[in-house]
Amino acid sequence: MSDPEELTLEEVRERARAAGVTIAETRLAMVRKLLADALAAVRALDSRAIKTVEPAVTFAPRREGGHE
Amino acid sequence: MSEELAYAGIAELGARYRKRALSPVEVTQALLARIEKLDPVLHAFVTLTPDRAMADARAAEEALRRGDPRPLLGIPVGHKDIYLTQGIRTTGGSALLADWIPDSDATCVGRWRTAGTVLLGKLITHEFAFGIQFPGHRFPPARNPWSLEHIPGGSSSGSGAALAAGLVVGATGSDTGGSIRGPAAFCGIVGLKPTYGRASRAGVLSLSWTLDHTGPMARTVEDCAYLLQAMAGHDPADPASSRAPVEDYLAPLRRDIRGVRLGVPRDYFFDAIDPEVERAFNEALDTLRRLGAEVRDVRIPSLAATHSFLLILMAEAFAYHERDIRAHPELYGDVLRERILAGALVTASEYMQAQRIRTEICHETAEVLRGVDVLVTPTTGKPATPFTQAHNPDFGFPKSNMPPFNLTGSPTLALPCGFSSSGLPLSFQLAGRAFEEGTVLRVGHAYERATAWHARRPPL
Repeated sequence: MSDPEELTLEEVRERARAAGVTIAETRLAMVRKLLADALAAVRALDSRAIKTVEPAVTFAPRREGGHE
Repeated sequence: MSEELAYAGIAELGARYRKRALSPVEVTQALLARIEKLDPVLHAFVTLTPDRAMADARAAEEALRRGDPRPLLGIPVGHKDIYLTQGIRTTGGSALLADWIPDSDATCVGRWRTAGTVLLGKLITHEFAFGIQFPGHRFPPARNPWSLEHIPGGSSSGSGAALAAGLVVGATGSDTGGSIRGPAAFCGIVGLKPTYGRASRAGVLSLSWTLDHTGPMARTVEDCAYLLQAMAGHDPADPASSRAPVEDYLAPLRRDIRGVRLGVPRDYFFDAIDPEVERAFNEALDTLRRLGAEVRDVRIPSLAATHSFLLILMAEAFAYHERDIRAHPELYGDVLRERILAGALVTASEYMQAQRIRTEICHETAEVLRGVDVLVTPTTGKPATPFTQAHNPDFGFPKSNMPPFNLTGSPTLALPCGFSSSGLPLSFQLAGRAFEEGTVLRVGHAYERATAWHARRPPL
């Protein structure tokens, strides 16, 4: 798991403001830990080196007489 | 009601029904009485449907008289309370939907109904399948029949508790990050998360579209096979539903597992594992070897990044709940509210990076599953969590062995493999290639027949 200090409480507050949601001060540390743990792998990533996501849509050849 | 009858399986009940040694009406009455006796402490049910149950049981009895061969005829079940039920309230374990009565059934509910099951009631779920109910919540959380001081796992908590306590024969569950397999592990029962797209999610409250799976929970692998058979298949109402043919899930159970290749991924799944869990898991591997399976270690390095799945889950959960949580935050449970709001804090770039990591994990897992037939790992790193720990707001969302197979969509079966020194169930999971539910059921069934863990009963 990441060091929670990588995501500061102030950054959590800023993100909440930008998203237009209110997070109780008493729960800010909890949210910071939740996000920091989840973000650890993403922050360790070389974003140019990994694969692209699969296409959201693929098309199969149309069957005779109609759409798939 | 005898203990033996409370824990009878689908094939046994069906055989006794057809010999006229027992009737669905008798079994239903007996289970309703058992629920009345035990559930005030367990809280597995959020809504009981005795009138519906008796009507279903009488209809099943009549059908049996006519020689109806459906295997689920007269089998008492419960549905996780995120599955919509026509005319029966569906709360999602939430104050927001506390009195909501849907006007249609979820596809899976309808399919089990058509199969002739008897609906005993709705089973409590963690709120919106994401947050355990804290003290003071509108609905109390289910308790673990093996130890009332421990959680039964979640989010299909009522399903796990009801099965372990002998209150239902089968139950529906849903699994976004382990919500079928976790309760199966903590309650000493069996849970199957089928392949993504195998069982419909239409009419089931969503947590995270790209990770949500529906599936059956039961006390044996064979019962899971029966229940999946009645659940699986294409549903145009679920955009992720697959058109892959539905195989016969009972047939593979008749085969042994000689020559089946099992892979043990040594990355990720054994970090911070409890020694008792590891010992039980290694003993399970020995049993599988004795049964003729070939066991080898495999590597899936990208699993180290699994926990990023939470970014996907939280962002999608917020997208689903955004309107309601902005309008009525007070109707969301304490802590759950912040967990969902945290999804609003995930940036688009972070969500996409998490999906790219997921793609990497899918590719590596698929590659490994070319060399082995099934992956085997402990289901959870520890036995059931005490309520005192789960009710600590800082408990968070600990790293878990289950999300990798939500990311890959692989069919995954959790089943009991022992008990801790304090008497809590332990479990391992079998994950196979997409749409090869038959293979994981076959391996699980062979293991189950060679051991007796599934036959132990909690001290109720």
